[in-house]
Amino acid sequence: MTKCRISRRRFIQGTASVGAALASMSSFRLLTGSSSAVAEPQQGVTYAQNWCEMCFWKCGLTAKVVNGKVRKLEGQPDCPSNFGKLCAKGNAGVFQLYDPDRLKTPLIRDGERGSGKFRKATWEEAITYVAQKTNELKEKYGPETFSLFCHGSGQDPFIQMMEIMGSPNICVPSYSQCTGSRDIGWALSFGKPVGGKEPVDSQNSKCIMLLGRNIAEALHVGEMQDFVEGVAKGAHVIYVDPRFTKTAAKANQYMMIKPGTDSALLLGMINYIIEKEIYSKDFVENYTYGFDQFKEHVAGYTVEWASEITEIPQEEIIKAAEKLCKAAPRCYVHPGRRLTRYGNDTQFTRIVACLNMLLGNWEVRGGLYRTIGFKYDAPAMIEYDKSHAERADGSGSEEFPLGPKNLGFSNGTIKAIAEQSSPLKGMFIYGCNPLHHHGNTDTVRKAIENTELIVTCEIYMTDTAWYSDVILPESTYLERTEPVITTGRRAGFVQYREKAVDPVFETLGSWDMVNRLLEAMGYENRFMDISEYNRLAFESLGVDEEYMKKNGVFIGNESSPYPVEDYEEEPSFRTPSGKAEFYSNLAEHFSYPPMPSYEENPVPAEGEFRLLFGRISFHTHARTQNNAWLLALHKSEVPLWIHTERAKALGIKDGMQVRLVKEGFKSNPCTARVVDYIHPQAVFLPYGFGHESKGLTRIVGKGARTSDFTSDLTDPISGAAGFHNGFVKIEIA
Amino acid sequence: MSTADKTKKFAMAYIVDRCVDCKACMVACKAEWQVPENDFRTHIDTGIAPAVTERLSMHFLPHQCNHCDHAPCVTVCPTKASHKREDGVVDIDNRKCVGCRYCIPSCPYNARFFNNELGVADKCTFCLPRIYDGLMPACVTTCPGRARVFGDVNDPESEISKALKNAADNRYRVWTLRKDLGTEPNIYYIQK
Repeated sequence: MTKCRISRRRFIQGTASVGAALASMSSFRLLTGSSSAVAEPQQGVTYAQNWCEMCFWKCGLTAKVVNGKVRKLEGQPDCPSNFGKLCAKGNAGVFQLYDPDRLKTPLIRDGERGSGKFRKATWEEAITYVAQKTNELKEKYGPETFSLFCHGSGQDPFIQMMEIMGSPNICVPSYSQCTGSRDIGWALSFGKPVGGKEPVDSQNSKCIMLLGRNIAEALHVGEMQDFVEGVAKGAHVIYVDPRFTKTAAKANQYMMIKPGTDSALLLGMINYIIEKEIYSKDFVENYTYGFDQFKEHVAGYTVEWASEITEIPQEEIIKAAEKLCKAAPRCYVHPGRRLTRYGNDTQFTRIVACLNMLLGNWEVRGGLYRTIGFKYDAPAMIEYDKSHAERADGSGSEEFPLGPKNLGFSNGTIKAIAEQSSPLKGMFIYGCNPLHHHGNTDTVRKAIENTELIVTCEIYMTDTAWYSDVILPESTYLERTEPVITTGRRAGFVQYREKAVDPVFETLGSWDMVNRLLEAMGYENRFMDISEYNRLAFESLGVDEEYMKKNGVFIGNESSPYPVEDYEEEPSFRTPSGKAEFYSNLAEHFSYPPMPSYEENPVPAEGEFRLLFGRISFHTHARTQNNAWLLALHKSEVPLWIHTERAKALGIKDGMQVRLVKEGFKSNPCTARVVDYIHPQAVFLPYGFGHESKGLTRIVGKGARTSDFTSDLTDPISGAAGFHNGFVKIEIA
Repeated sequence: MSTADKTKKFAMAYIVDRCVDCKACMVACKAEWQVPENDFRTHIDTGIAPAVTERLSMHFLPHQCNHCDHAPCVTVCPTKASHKREDGVVDIDNRKCVGCRYCIPSCPYNARFFNNELGVADKCTFCLPRIYDGLMPACVTTCPGRARVFGDVNDPESEISKALKNAADNRYRVWTLRKDLGTEPNIYYIQK
């Protein structure tokens, strides 16, 4: 921070005496387009268009650069992902850019793995080293020996490099550690996955039901904006969670559910809605399949039964069901975001889908809207022949026919490496952190031990980078010009990213990096020059580069996201029956239960707690905790939520330092937050703390790492993980 | 700083129903003004009514300098570094501030802190250069919930005037902090 601080200070002092200069420098004229009485911006103030990479929602932003230094980031007013707004993380991107904790040069391990001993290397050395090692591994074990874990805008070149190298073991952990079960469950029910930008029309909704979907804290700007609009317009919000979150603060009805019993609650509501015949009859009759069987199937799931299991009073369950039906079709039950809970999540998400079917909220205002895509002739960035070898994790195999081969099972691949069920000896990591995102750090450690070469491409020394053999430092998003991307929400749009400044340290963008790797490995395939790619893309899109440089975003498809309402289109579904399926033909075809049932989840033993974890509004995954601006928001404290009564029994008082304990393993201290508003059976820990890497100087050793304590289950249908059957004890530190 | 426009009176309102305590305002302000690492010019507090009461509830209360018409910080400042401008903004002239810190405990809203990097008292300025450049303060621009409304209360067409009128028309609850102290704050809270 020192370097950064000095120059900032000088800047403030300098401008304090020339107030008018500061006034004109603060102009975002390009953004607002407004004419101003103040003089034109001084020379040395420029603006660059980008999209935020502090999380994965891709908010459009404009970087203001003063004398070659990024000073401020602001949202692009027209970007449909965020409409001019940025969250705390997005605003803190400036700190990340100049953070002295960033990786500054390539590093090659120079000591035992995990010792943290690395030597600085030139790019040429590092590239040659990786190329030589990978060629050796390929020779020795075959091309399938490589695995890749990747997440983020720069992941594509690494994916393509793996395919050129001939390995199919590419994992995008957002499938198996986040949305996999939900998307498969939704595909079985409605014929299409939900997608990463959940198409729930909160802004027009009259009734919103969220089951642990903590929109205010696991925050995506666009989704949160819609939610707040809905709330401001008076939507009835039903929030279900074992703890009272900031989203619950906005709810009209909050139900503290016994952890792990959400499906019982929904089945009880479904039973009530069908019994009372308050469902959308027209929709159910005309556009759904298997209702009669489903009705019979859920007959036993009475409200009384649901109340007993969930510990929620019957009248609350009935009230929720009636509120939804009264608002139908302008209502929805949220499909959920990270549906990696109890290892049977595909069936749970099927229940959510079936409840939505009863509400008839398909592609109408206030319900589930249609994501508007964007089609154009995208140029090929690189030419190559794709490998069709079998994956080591079983994704897309006979065991998991619905597992997408292009996304893979991150947890399954780690397991395959740990057990060496295939000779997986070379691991590439891009923007990922298996030691945090996997369910079980022991398995990851075993996988690391069994791997001969670990190459990590990162901007920070993450825990996983700490155990790597070679670290390739990546430029941050503000230092990269990248191929344009298309995104879909209520409109289809194109986003442009142009570097705001040259790399602050000796870092490279991933395309550049991989081009060099491919060359050193002896392959002939090369990525097209990025500006040439963009030129061709703009030609095909019919938009000129100047426009993109100025606006950063181009809305290319404005068809209605409510086609059923606006064009009176018949609701249509890409399922075998062509209808929304209560009874899933596809599930039956693959010998899965065609209709979802209640499955009991394990409960903690006497003296134990179920470990729940999730996000807080100003951190993303395990990647932003070391950011000083964000860290200052919680004064470096990592809270552990525990119920008052349980805390009392253990002698724990609010603010005390406590540890999580599991099978003799203890976490770093966390700060007890003793509250009434968490279910006594559970404790809650925010995700992403407990780093062991000494390269994260501000946060190393603080708080607990959730993956040390979570469960490591596999959903039998989607193959995705289940994290919340991890049970812990708590003791005073 | 920009010359004060006497015709204007700047004020801000928080529509508290729209705040989700995401802290975007706090970080945007820090970025805009290079506020030292552990300080903030604006904060959000959380108030919780626990389960032992009738119903669980949680409220979020953003707060910052209230730009009071009768500002105690201005009264106590021995060098006139803290002053009330003719456009309603309470500002600190860093050249005049000698770092005596009288103003810090004098503020009933705990809105001031000592900026160790600059050696002066520090607080919100309503983003003066931005507002004279036709922009909104950084916290308003970034607020994802659109909980913050800013503008010139002398102009009936400004967003703040409209928000206050709308609140009055709909009989929403409108209040300022510690009215009893007679500081006449220019930060309003609106709740349905």
